[in-house]
Amino acid sequence: MNPLELTLGIMTAVGGFVDISELVFAAKAGSMFGYALIWAFALGTIGMSVFGEMSGRVAAIAKQPVFNLMRHRLGLKLGLITLIGSLISTLITCAAEVGGMALLLNYLTGLPYLLLAVASVAVLMATMWVLPFKWIERTYGLLGLLMIVFAVAVVAIHPPWAKLAGGFVPQVPSGLSSKELLNYSYFIVAILSAVLFPYESYFYSSGGIEEGWGAKDLLTNRVTCTVGFGLGSLLAISILASSAQLFGPINVGPEIPGTTALEAAIPFGKTGLLLALLGMLFAVAGAAVETCMSNAYAISQFFGWEWGRHAKPWEAPRFTLAWIAVMLLALLIVLTGVDVMSLVEYAVLFSIIVLPLSYLPLMLLANDKSYMREHANKWLAKSLGWLFFIIVTAAAIAAIPLYLLTSGGGG
Amino acid sequence: MRWILLLVFLLAACSKGPQADLPYIGQARSLAAEWALVNEQAVEGKLTGSYVQTMRQSAREQLQTCEKALSQPQSDYAQEITAILKQPDDASPAALRAHARKLKRIEDSLESA
Repeated sequence: MNPLELTLGIMTAVGGFVDISELVFAAKAGSMFGYALIWAFALGTIGMSVFGEMSGRVAAIAKQPVFNLMRHRLGLKLGLITLIGSLISTLITCAAEVGGMALLLNYLTGLPYLLLAVASVAVLMATMWVLPFKWIERTYGLLGLLMIVFAVAVVAIHPPWAKLAGGFVPQVPSGLSSKELLNYSYFIVAILSAVLFPYESYFYSSGGIEEGWGAKDLLTNRVTCTVGFGLGSLLAISILASSAQLFGPINVGPEIPGTTALEAAIPFGKTGLLLALLGMLFAVAGAAVETCMSNAYAISQFFGWEWGRHAKPWEAPRFTLAWIAVMLLALLIVLTGVDVMSLVEYAVLFSIIVLPLSYLPLMLLANDKSYMREHANKWLAKSLGWLFFIIVTAAAIAAIPLYLLTSGGGG
Repeated sequence: MRWILLLVFLLAACSKGPQADLPYIGQARSLAAEWALVNEQAVEGKLTGSYVQTMRQSAREQLQTCEKALSQPQSDYAQEITAILKQPDDASPAALRAHARKLKRIEDSLESA
């Protein structure tokens, strides 16, 4: 194990963990329910570590990408339904990330939003065309580390640490009305969905295959998924904690995505504001690339096309056309003028619905000793895998009724 | 399952009046409070010009959307939202917060009704 590679892998995972949905829901959850939803982020992160590690291990040992597995394990019909569901949810997520990028650039430059959406897509496509996989992942992941300003900011505003630590314990706050209880339940589902987005494991495992992982990389995979994702999650929790401290008491929702940047501006002024906006910009840009490529990976793997960024774009033409088409479709959605916050809501809702079907074939293969040999799931991974499968299935069933009953957590 | 979903859809579709306006009242209350916070930090020199301008514009646009979406345009909360929209971009944080507090009181009373 190369220590430099490991460190870079962890840092990339930290910087690349947060996306627009987590930014939105962390800030809203903190202002509405104080520290009471920190545990939902922690629980989701454990789930993400479990499924991420499993998908990386399957990629390293069985050399099987997720959508290839899906077709073989679920059969063509159910596999196709899952593929279509995943494509739609990931496309909406990609559009939300592109819209988020344009908004953040709008705060930084004051230039028109739609023009910035077009410029963002042009820059993203250029980097995806030119850079190899590893450098696409690292460029955005490492620049996303500027978001560490949120973790420093939460220390600077001196939150009540005991209350904050208490948030890690699963709880239902006392004194909530039935309406508030429904909102609280909706936020649990939305946070789990935002942390466990299925595209993250598609991208991660496809990346493992692109980089030619083998048994020697299993430790790196495990450390990246536990330490990297864990530290990345702390950034989202920092945003939630600052929001609980700064926004909740003064009736701030927040309804405007840019409001989150105030968490760093209040203690550190203009420097804090710029670091926060740039960190969020690169984290969201990284997520836009990941969602776009995840859809291209999914289609190519499902239909058995040549895929990957290890090859020149013209050496895997259908894969290249797929990611170009996904990015342009995402831009088209943004250009219709749809509100970014609404896109985030839809992305979270669609993703949680397809999540159980995405993770089931992965877990079945990771349990299978004929493929995985001595690297098959042991009792801990098996138990955690089934536990999280039950949790995401329950969340998927509850998602639509909760969304309708709470107007998307709004009331 | 299908029946439960149908019932949920019907319940969501049937709600009208102040109760149906609650999400917009909550949104408007937050937007007024966000606008106040931006103006307060801007006075202290902690924000950049383009950020302040974009945030104020977003707040105003979203408040207009809330105002248009209300099912009771003559209600006290609709008048409150209209009053917020009449504020200048650099309105005093205290004035904006007073509007946010009024909307919060209306929101709380409707929620407990």
